[in-house]
Amino acid sequence: MKQVETINGRELKEMLTTATSWLEKSASDIDALNVFPVPDGDTGTNMLLTMRSSIDEANQTADSSAAGVAQAIARGALLGARGNSGVILSQIWRGLAEGLENKPSVNGADFAEAMHQASVTAYKGISNPVEGTILTVAKDAAEAGQAQAANGDADLISVLEAIVSAASESVANTPTLLPVLKDAGVVDAGGQGLYTILEGALRYLRGEAEQMQFRKPLIIASSVPQPARAMRISPKEEKPFGYCTEFLLKGTGFNQEKIKTKLKKDGESLIVVGDDNTTRVHIHTEDPGKIIRYATSLGTVHQISIRNMDEQHQDYLEMQKDRTPEIDIATIAVVAGEGLADVFTSLGTTAIVSGGQTMNPSTKELLMAVKSVASDKVIVLPNNKNIILTAQQLQSLTDKQVEIVPTETIPQGVAALLAFDYEADFQTNAKLMREAKAAVRTIEITRAVRGAHLNGLNIKKKQTIGLLDGELLVAGKDPLDILTKMLAKLDLTNAQIITIYYGADTDTVEAEAVNTSIREQYPRLQVEVIQGGQPHYNYIVSIE
Amino acid sequence: MTVKIITDSLSDITSDLAGELGVTVVPLTVIFGHETFLDRVTMTTDEFYRRLTDGTVWPTTTQPTPAAFAEVYNTLAKETDEILVVTLSGKMSGTYQSALGAKNMFKGKCRIEIIDSQLVAMSLGSLVISAARKAKAGATLDELVNSVKKAMPRSHFVVYFDTLKYLAKGGRIGKAQGLLGAMLSVKPILTVKEGEMAPLTRLRSLSAGLDYLYNFAKGYPDAELVAVEHATTPDEADRLADRLSSTFPKERIIKAVISPVLGVYGGPGAMAVTVLEAEKK
Repeated sequence: MKQVETINGRELKEMLTTATSWLEKSASDIDALNVFPVPDGDTGTNMLLTMRSSIDEANQTADSSAAGVAQAIARGALLGARGNSGVILSQIWRGLAEGLENKPSVNGADFAEAMHQASVTAYKGISNPVEGTILTVAKDAAEAGQAQAANGDADLISVLEAIVSAASESVANTPTLLPVLKDAGVVDAGGQGLYTILEGALRYLRGEAEQMQFRKPLIIASSVPQPARAMRISPKEEKPFGYCTEFLLKGTGFNQEKIKTKLKKDGESLIVVGDDNTTRVHIHTEDPGKIIRYATSLGTVHQISIRNMDEQHQDYLEMQKDRTPEIDIATIAVVAGEGLADVFTSLGTTAIVSGGQTMNPSTKELLMAVKSVASDKVIVLPNNKNIILTAQQLQSLTDKQVEIVPTETIPQGVAALLAFDYEADFQTNAKLMREAKAAVRTIEITRAVRGAHLNGLNIKKKQTIGLLDGELLVAGKDPLDILTKMLAKLDLTNAQIITIYYGADTDTVEAEAVNTSIREQYPRLQVEVIQGGQPHYNYIVSIE
Repeated sequence: MTVKIITDSLSDITSDLAGELGVTVVPLTVIFGHETFLDRVTMTTDEFYRRLTDGTVWPTTTQPTPAAFAEVYNTLAKETDEILVVTLSGKMSGTYQSALGAKNMFKGKCRIEIIDSQLVAMSLGSLVISAARKAKAGATLDELVNSVKKAMPRSHFVVYFDTLKYLAKGGRIGKAQGLLGAMLSVKPILTVKEGEMAPLTRLRSLSAGLDYLYNFAKGYPDAELVAVEHATTPDEADRLADRLSSTFPKERIIKAVISPVLGVYGGPGAMAVTVLEAEKK
């Protein structure tokens, strides 16, 4: 295995130059990760431009020590920082330079320590640090680097490997920390950018610069299982975003803390970083004029950039439209319950209309969904007997081609959705989905809304009842008892999977008990339990 | 002189079969942490899948270096004046680029043609097998290039993944992205489309998966070759091959093991079927 004990200033510069070329290859992919309103729309590009400014500065410095090069990198980043992520990156380099002060060369332990300093400095620069961003990635990476160095294996490659590996995990984890990422099914763009830079640096140390020209950095997949994005039909209020205001301030005797305190109430996403003579400011504000007036009272203002974020948002929406893979056939499902909505989304439903038993969506709501999906061919899964008729009105109300697959239960809807064939045309898919719904049986366990005599059963109000494919079959007290009785009535010779979706009123402990019992009774079958969160129904059970 | 054929280890051609056909297989590299292995040369497929399931280190893979191809070109150039290289899809790996890079560095007189098959696993392997047989029968390099290019759209591949876990971790998933994050246990069926993995449909059990693979192959009764592949389930593969022997003569059925390089994404339990349709006369 290749080992690198130390690198000098020249090699440090080479390493970051290679890392910058590596970042360049995926800058546009990183741009695409942006989730508005995460400040600044072109994270990849902004980080790249910041890095280029760093490299330019490093190329001009006469100081060939590691400390000297690191200083130049930090200075270049501050002068050329673009966007929120660029400014934070400049702080990372500043911290790194502080950590490497007076060092003629860098070994593994030095680098780990400097990365720690980098993370601390980066947090300090931000008035309200948010976890699940580049900051978290820098922190996690630094911790892993220090642990590796403390382990005794302070070879520079080993330390950087630990850093890169931790950065990768940290990036994958960003959606668990930041809900806006989770909803969009992407990882944090700034974090991804930092990971790419560190990975590029590692590849340089390993001597892979040559091979890198044939390869491309990996964009990390979110560790949260939510890449499929279904539209939820519910209108939201829109807030104005204001102006993204950035500039470089030159003069003497700057106090960043003082500037921060002064500007804090004038906007959001405030970053003020720099030294006595040079300070960079980034803020989202409704009144950029006020900010600039204040700045000119402190010194001279350079590289002023004021961008209308509402326009940026429009551009962003347009870009997303272009990037959204063209869907040939859209599917719309009527679903109640957060868990069930997630199940349908994860299986690729294009849009979800909220509704079900006792809360049937109107034709208008369904029509809105049909209009909103980016396809002229739409398959609708009503998933309830009482909604099929409403859904069938759609065909006469729109120019789009609409097929209703008359699913009467949630399991039928899931089976239909699974049967979707990515290669088949519209009519074939509608046919495949109709056939698939017939291959599944549904048991629903709920409570009677009123007393009745039905199918030879004397049912009292609120008594627990079991339905098989919509037909009342068993009444009793205990849901597990009813489910067991109903399964016993079915021929399960060809069955393979039982999926149990438990409702909003059923607790997890009870559902687990049902799970255990059914598994014991049917050891041959695969049993899955999922929190469906549906109202009214204690359990919806699918038998395939 | 007989044209010499080179492919990469993603063709799933074993060293025995390669020896028999006179084909040279250039291995990709599998990396577990600090350890690197040449696919099926310094690490067996069994050992790979054992580490993949037991280990805590996530493996990655890399293309062969241009130097690895250059070495093979130089060795073969002593025996022949025409070489054909057929690589896995250039959209999945830089192997094709490495083969090209080596050709640009090559100083010998031997003619070298390189084809990006746009395929993977036995769908690539079956092209190579078919070409190697033609080469033995005396086909020229130009004839072989023409024949492989014409055979590419006739090579059909479907693969069953028993789990989505490895596909999700691997990252390089092309159009299969939409399959990720299913909350139910779902077994995807994928194919190779325009050089990338693309989803076909989703099933919920192994037996449904085996039925799908069986019915898919049965749709091409006059196939030149049928390949049945597995990752860790040789018994299931044997049973599937037996079932298929009612439709296809036994000598047209090839059994193979899915390469670790694809196994990084498919994980244990994956199974695949390739059909090379017969040439239309």
